[in-house]
Amino acid sequence: MKRLTQSLAAVLFVVGLTSSAAAQSNSGSITATAQVQQPINVNGAVNLSFGNVFPGVNKAVLLTDAGAGRFDVTGQASTPVNLAYTALPTNLANGGNNLPVSFTSGYNTSNSAAGATSFAPGSGASTSLSGTGALFVFLGGTVTPAVNQAAGTYTGTVTLQVTY
Amino acid sequence: MWRRAGTAPAEVPRGLCRCVILSLLSSALWATPAEAQRPLTVQGARSLTFGSLLAGVNKTVLRTDVVNGGQLDISGPGRASVLLTFTLPASMTGPAGATLPLSFGSNDGGWSPPQQIGTQTAFDPRVPYTAPLDQNGKVSVYLGGTAKPTANQKAGSYSGTITLTVVVLP
Repeated sequence: MKRLTQSLAAVLFVVGLTSSAAAQSNSGSITATAQVQQPINVNGAVNLSFGNVFPGVNKAVLLTDAGAGRFDVTGQASTPVNLAYTALPTNLANGGNNLPVSFTSGYNTSNSAAGATSFAPGSGASTSLSGTGALFVFLGGTVTPAVNQAAGTYTGTVTLQVTY
Repeated sequence: MWRRAGTAPAEVPRGLCRCVILSLLSSALWATPAEAQRPLTVQGARSLTFGSLLAGVNKTVLRTDVVNGGQLDISGPGRASVLLTFTLPASMTGPAGATLPLSFGSNDGGWSPPQQIGTQTAFDPRVPYTAPLDQNGKVSVYLGGTAKPTANQKAGSYSGTITLTVVVLP
């Protein structure tokens, strides 16, 4: 009996040793990442100026003319952007007098209308900012004064929206 | 030999004694399941990617996002319970030491059987959580979050480290 008890005690001791396990712990990591882009800035740099016009005589300003308008855009380098005119009047106004107007537009990553890519202002365009985050948008157009167009200074506002 | 009435003999047959010992020894040697010896590993499977951000515009990535959500895969003893503890950064670090605030909500953590992101169970990653390993000792853990760039957040790349500590529970 004593031998049985001793044997059982030895077995239980072995069972006790093999049943225990050290607590396991480990860790792993991942990264969180983000890229903050430069904000877009759109500056109305040069007004579109038709100069002197005469009743009944249309006058056009090409993108390459001295009177052409220009927007200067800055933002995140080499990033695609969308161009949209959100305010494009059909008339320049002088009080209650209207002077019909239509527009042309083009963009270039350098400040040169000669190499600008033309687009229909009413349709907008998609392009990318330059490697330095710049874009130039040129605005031309044509006014069509009536034969009895009232004399005076006619103005209108054109707004360009640029988005990533 | 005189015996007191009602008592049984104290002697145990020797053969029976040996059988019991052998049986107990066998049980002791084979009672330890093989999976208890499986080492615990925690592998980062996918980063938490917020992508392009604009200053002043918050952006949230869901834990169910298969492309941008964070994921870690755990391997350990089969059917074990594990305690999950995230170390979550308060912000990411960017150019010239600029910091971009991060936040994690009560629904931004999740776990599932391995790689089953669509059937995960949600949990709050901000507090320790107990999850089960499957019969093969596997579980995947997912993480979402929100980046909160300030209105004058400096442009550039930001990053931070998220750590998951796992402990096998007895």
